[in-house]
Amino acid sequence: MPIPKSHSSGTKSAFVFLDPAGRRWPRIRVGLVLFGLLFLAGAAWFIQSLLVTPWLRLPTSVAKIKEELKALQRPADIAGANPGARTPTWLKFKRLAESQKTARRARTPAEKRRSVVQPGTDIPEIRVAYYGDWDQSSLASFAAHADQLTHIAVERYTVRWTDARVSIKEEADTGLDIFAATKGVIVMPILSNVAGEGGGRIPEPVEWLALAPPEARAAFIEDIAGRVSASKAGGILVDFQQVDPTHNDALTDFYSELSTALRARGCEFWMSVPMGEDLVSFQLEKLSPIVDHFLAVLHGENSDGDAAGPTASKEWFEGWLETAAGYGEPSQWIAVLGTGGFDWSEGEARGQYISFVEAMSRADYAGLDEIRKEGLRVAGPAFEPNFTYLDKDGTKHTVWFQDSVTFLNQVQTSRRRGFGGVAIDRIGGEDPAIWAALRLPAKLDPTLLTALERIVPGEEITGIGRGAIVSINTEREDGSRALEISADGRVQCTYTSFPAYTTLYREGSGPDRRKVALTFDDGPDPTWTPMILDVLKREGVKATFFIVGSRAELYPGLVRRIVDEGHELGNHTYTHGNVALMSDRQVRLELNATQRLIETVTGRSTLLFRPPYNADSHPTKLDEIRPLSLAQSLGYMIALEDVDTMDWARDGVDKIVERAKQGRAAGGNVVLLHDAGGDREQTLNALTQIIDYLQTRGDVIVPVHELLGKSYADTMPPLEGGRQTVVRFVAGVGFRVFHALESFAWTLLLIATLLVLLRTILVLWLASRFRWDQAPVGDFQPPVTVLIAAYNEAKVIASTMRSVLETDYTGEIEVLVINDGSVDGTAAIVADLATHDGRVRLIDQPNGGKASALDRGFREAKHDLVVLLDADTQFTRETIGQLVQPMRDEKTGAVSGHAKVGNPRSLIARCQALEYICGFNLDRRAYAKWNCITVVPGAISALRVSAVRSVGGISHDTLAEDTDLTLALHRAGWRIAYTPAALAHTEAPETFADLSKQRFRWAFGTMQSLWKHRDMTFNPRFGALGLFSLPSIWFFQILLVALTPFVDFGLLVSFLLGNGAAVLPYLIAYLAIDMLLAVVACALEREPLWRAWIIIPMRVIYRVLLSYVVWKAIKRALHGALVGWGKLERTASVDARLNVRQSAAPTR
Amino acid sequence: MTRPALPRLFFLLGLASVLTGCPRALPPRIEPPKAAQLALPATGAYTGAYMDFGEKEDAVSVEAIEEFEKMVGKRQAIVASSSYWGEQSFPAANIRLIARHGSLPLIFWSPWDRPYEENRGPDRYSLTSILEGKHDAYIDRWGDEAKAFAGPMVVSFANEPNGNWFPWSGFFYGAGKKLSKGAGFEGPDTYRRAFRYVVDRVRARGARNVQWVLHLMNYPYPFDMWNLAAEYDPGSEYCDWVGFSLYGPQYNGDRWGTFTPLLAWPYQTVSELHPAKPVMVVEWGVGEFPKKGSKAAWISEALATMRSPEYNRIKAIVFWHERWQNKDGSYSNLRVNSSPDALQAYRDGIADPYWLDRPIWK
Repeated sequence: MPIPKSHSSGTKSAFVFLDPAGRRWPRIRVGLVLFGLLFLAGAAWFIQSLLVTPWLRLPTSVAKIKEELKALQRPADIAGANPGARTPTWLKFKRLAESQKTARRARTPAEKRRSVVQPGTDIPEIRVAYYGDWDQSSLASFAAHADQLTHIAVERYTVRWTDARVSIKEEADTGLDIFAATKGVIVMPILSNVAGEGGGRIPEPVEWLALAPPEARAAFIEDIAGRVSASKAGGILVDFQQVDPTHNDALTDFYSELSTALRARGCEFWMSVPMGEDLVSFQLEKLSPIVDHFLAVLHGENSDGDAAGPTASKEWFEGWLETAAGYGEPSQWIAVLGTGGFDWSEGEARGQYISFVEAMSRADYAGLDEIRKEGLRVAGPAFEPNFTYLDKDGTKHTVWFQDSVTFLNQVQTSRRRGFGGVAIDRIGGEDPAIWAALRLPAKLDPTLLTALERIVPGEEITGIGRGAIVSINTEREDGSRALEISADGRVQCTYTSFPAYTTLYREGSGPDRRKVALTFDDGPDPTWTPMILDVLKREGVKATFFIVGSRAELYPGLVRRIVDEGHELGNHTYTHGNVALMSDRQVRLELNATQRLIETVTGRSTLLFRPPYNADSHPTKLDEIRPLSLAQSLGYMIALEDVDTMDWARDGVDKIVERAKQGRAAGGNVVLLHDAGGDREQTLNALTQIIDYLQTRGDVIVPVHELLGKSYADTMPPLEGGRQTVVRFVAGVGFRVFHALESFAWTLLLIATLLVLLRTILVLWLASRFRWDQAPVGDFQPPVTVLIAAYNEAKVIASTMRSVLETDYTGEIEVLVINDGSVDGTAAIVADLATHDGRVRLIDQPNGGKASALDRGFREAKHDLVVLLDADTQFTRETIGQLVQPMRDEKTGAVSGHAKVGNPRSLIARCQALEYICGFNLDRRAYAKWNCITVVPGAISALRVSAVRSVGGISHDTLAEDTDLTLALHRAGWRIAYTPAALAHTEAPETFADLSKQRFRWAFGTMQSLWKHRDMTFNPRFGALGLFSLPSIWFFQILLVALTPFVDFGLLVSFLLGNGAAVLPYLIAYLAIDMLLAVVACALEREPLWRAWIIIPMRVIYRVLLSYVVWKAIKRALHGALVGWGKLERTASVDARLNVRQSAAPTR
Repeated sequence: MTRPALPRLFFLLGLASVLTGCPRALPPRIEPPKAAQLALPATGAYTGAYMDFGEKEDAVSVEAIEEFEKMVGKRQAIVASSSYWGEQSFPAANIRLIARHGSLPLIFWSPWDRPYEENRGPDRYSLTSILEGKHDAYIDRWGDEAKAFAGPMVVSFANEPNGNWFPWSGFFYGAGKKLSKGAGFEGPDTYRRAFRYVVDRVRARGARNVQWVLHLMNYPYPFDMWNLAAEYDPGSEYCDWVGFSLYGPQYNGDRWGTFTPLLAWPYQTVSELHPAKPVMVVEWGVGEFPKKGSKAAWISEALATMRSPEYNRIKAIVFWHERWQNKDGSYSNLRVNSSPDALQAYRDGIADPYWLDRPIWK
């Protein structure tokens, strides 16, 4: 490249960056295109590698659910083996004589009640559904079958202690109330003594009520009756259990008072009566006049606390039905029929309640229809379906449950006995055919029964097994059964195939209930993950980290550390997006990218996946299931959670720990915590307490794979050679390159930030130490030549010259105007002035550019001191005097004056005004302190002719001849001074286009000068100039400015991704610092402080502008083309006082 | 879950956070309680409870302990639970849990078989079968595991033998039949020998960390000469504590009465038996019969009496917190919170610093 050697400056060397042959750009272009193509191809290959699904090998145990459960050949018909030796309990309570019938009770009229009658008759029938507010399917079932119901029973009121009184805890469900009202169904809230989640009973508050003083009782009754009538409910359904029969009389009195209060408000009083020994706590004879309806709970022959057995066998059901009917009137009774059953597993203390749907999916998975030739039967003697199966641990399970056939038999029996209605306990997960069974008349025939044959699965999600690690089967299928009427008129049936539902197969809570996993989501995080790892190491605990790919990419070291310290990794998507809202392709990409990254960093895969946002172990919607089953099809095990500490809420360590305790006590064993996503101080503190708590509890803390009884290598298999080698290699290289680029950018930017800060501090410090008092002018007034290079300056030249001539300077002055071939009459104006004032001299020359004009001027100047000013700049009366003062020192080669924007009208110009104040002048003060000023502006400066001659005159090599000259003077050892007292007003460009042209010239010129004098940069010989101000220009004015578009793009993306809230405080803080700087500069300059506000729009405008011109300059430099003056358009708005500035001037 | 921001894009802005992100200290480790040897308090006594640990009295959980402690407003120095021989196991998990919680485990080691029903008489784990050596392996294993646990624990082997409801009562082993040689009666003597036999075997396994309590009923039933406390005493080298169960009315038919007579005579009896040994009220409680008397008043009186200087050799009391259903359908409600008044009385009484809420180690 024809770059002039810097020491030869002054000779007529070629224009810097000029490439006369024009070969440079084509070569660079070819290089750029090739590089771009390669990069694009690499990137595309990389992305494609992420679309190839990693090859994950699921442990075989999870792969095939169907083989896990095994139906057992032997039917578990316990009812058949029922030892008949013991007298059935119901006989103890059976009333013998009809004569004991109590007086007919006064019934409240049924108002607004939907008229439902027994099919085929006109006998009215009450139909109640028990609603489970925790269950989505319960609501769905209610919505679908409301027309067949008269009442809905909801758990609403519970009694409990508060202080020394009994109070009511209410769980209102206004939504349900309104919905029921629109359907014409009466809400019957339940008042119970249930305590806690497990359904345990606290009898003490009820006993206390029975024995309490009358006032206390009355207050309670007033409270509950008031609530019931206020909520427009039909009445109340009392369900008190395990109450000491010792207090029966008192309790009956209490009920009587309650009934009176309710009836006075037009509400009914219903009572739930458990069938069994507990019947002893009910004085049914005395209660029947005051109770509108008894609800005989005709299921629960065996329940969770008992050994496996029928939940309502025929004999049991009919025995209790008959017994109950003996009290009061049969029509007063409502038969409560079960719709589910229990799964008792051997070795477990308690059975697990399951719905019909769950019983069906167990039967289906166990392959019951394939193994047992006769299938599943509902027939005598128990008339209740049941089966047994082995789970994957080989544990035997026994299931007894109720379906539409048992339901039909029971409904028909209770109708025959004259019962007033039926209650369905409960809706949600029930056999859908029960609704058809309700409509069947008393006289059945086989054709009617076909209505119950098909079992059509709905939207239900069923679950099998225990634990938070799930596999999913989304295939749905109808089931079927054959029904027939037995000899004694009851319906019996054989299941021929089982319906298949969307099923979650749960694992992770096996026979050993002591195992608990701690899981951390959303990391890694550079602050918190290491601390959490430290705590885990100290406690000797291994955990599972569900990492977010994008964060792992940032901190691969942390990912490696997690694995090195023996913890397990799981995939938590790449961007922490909500998979339920993503397309399948996107989910695939998220999972693959994270997987590839984990493979690259650790050399292992992970088989665990946890979805962000929806990690609750009991998903209720099919929408939540879809992405999970996609993840499963990619080979993942879905690790959900069932102990949610909600540590992200940061509502206190105690609360976080408390939630962990509750979740664990409720049987959960996968604890969800977070190691990123904000200040995790509370998590960290809670973690030590949770670990202590679990260990006190006797729990064993393990990673997720141990919950499954798997090895580390099962969930985190090492990569196998030979499989997907190329894809993996590409992905690996891609991640590494990406990471390297990112680290590089990050490092660079960090350094930049530090340097910006340092530089700001340094400049402020230096500038504050700069003395700028006006020097006394009197004794040093040497003769000076004022040199103006003019090109088409007719509009302004006269006023410019007037401002020079009307000076207070008493020394000899020569005003030398070099007319550089102007065509607009500039010469005539000057010539006219020259005839009136002898100090003025005009030299015409053909157009040769500013440098040549100045060069000529220096040669023609009469005096050794030359004051330069632009044709569009105005002096004050003191300017010349102040400007020459530093020349007293013979070593001073040049003096910079102090330029200000003279036309601060448009926004653009006002920005520049502030820029001059805070940037250029502040900098120059600082630089002057260390004699490292990089540019003496052509707009206002004083030069020593001998100095200029010593460096070979003005050079034509660059567009910024002032910068070039200043650097050359430095090189020759001249001092460069600055005197802020020498003021000049210059005109700033007023339009964006002009400003951009001007700044391009500066940028290009500066780059040229720097390049030309590149040997000075970092050269200690030039002191602060070489070590401070020149590197500053390279770094802050070229490199950093060139990078800003990328930074801004990142900012924008970040804003668009919704991180605005996090960013805003920083942004405001940064602007505040800028503002502070501006205020300080204005104060130094004695400018009004309010001008500083312009800094805000200026930030926006300048960022774009400066990076644009720098890139343009770089492009031009690479092109190597000749660059013209790009002369500024004159505005017509020139004020008499003002001048217009042109050409190179101060650069920062 | 807030989505992590992309702070790298804010290099200029992020500097502030980098500069202020000074290293933080890890939260301090929670040290598990260190149990050395149990010391007897010079003044005051340990308070503890059995907290309705289910049908086999062994369903110990941190949740139940913490719930009880929260309810009564006091930590428990002693947590009591059972180990039934029919399970053929050592309650390692329970003991570890209790110790880790910072309490002293008290184990009722009861030699009976399923179904664990009272009034059935001896079964396969009878005292005689123990003396015949039929259960040596189990006793040895139990001793080994007790030794392995290493921390202090108190064992009440075959409690309330001077009653007639448990199968190990002297009542079932010859009762008041005179011994053929020497003074004494067959029933209590069989018990005494079995007690020594078991203690010897466990000690032979090296389980020196076990303290033994001779745990009688406050009044013998039947109340007879042969059934007195002294007849059951295995000797001072075989027990570290002497103690008894003490209950107010538990059933509908029971008569209400004051507390002091329940304590005075038995206290005097065991004190004379072992003047140098600390006394433990190994079980105490009362049912809720509001028509007969005030449970609250009874509890207040009990706690006031037991800490009076007269009874200053009582070094531990253990409250029996349970509600159960009787054959006639009625309930016996010995829970501390059977009524708000009862609970308040207990809270107020037990709050006195005389009742120590954690073991003192030496």
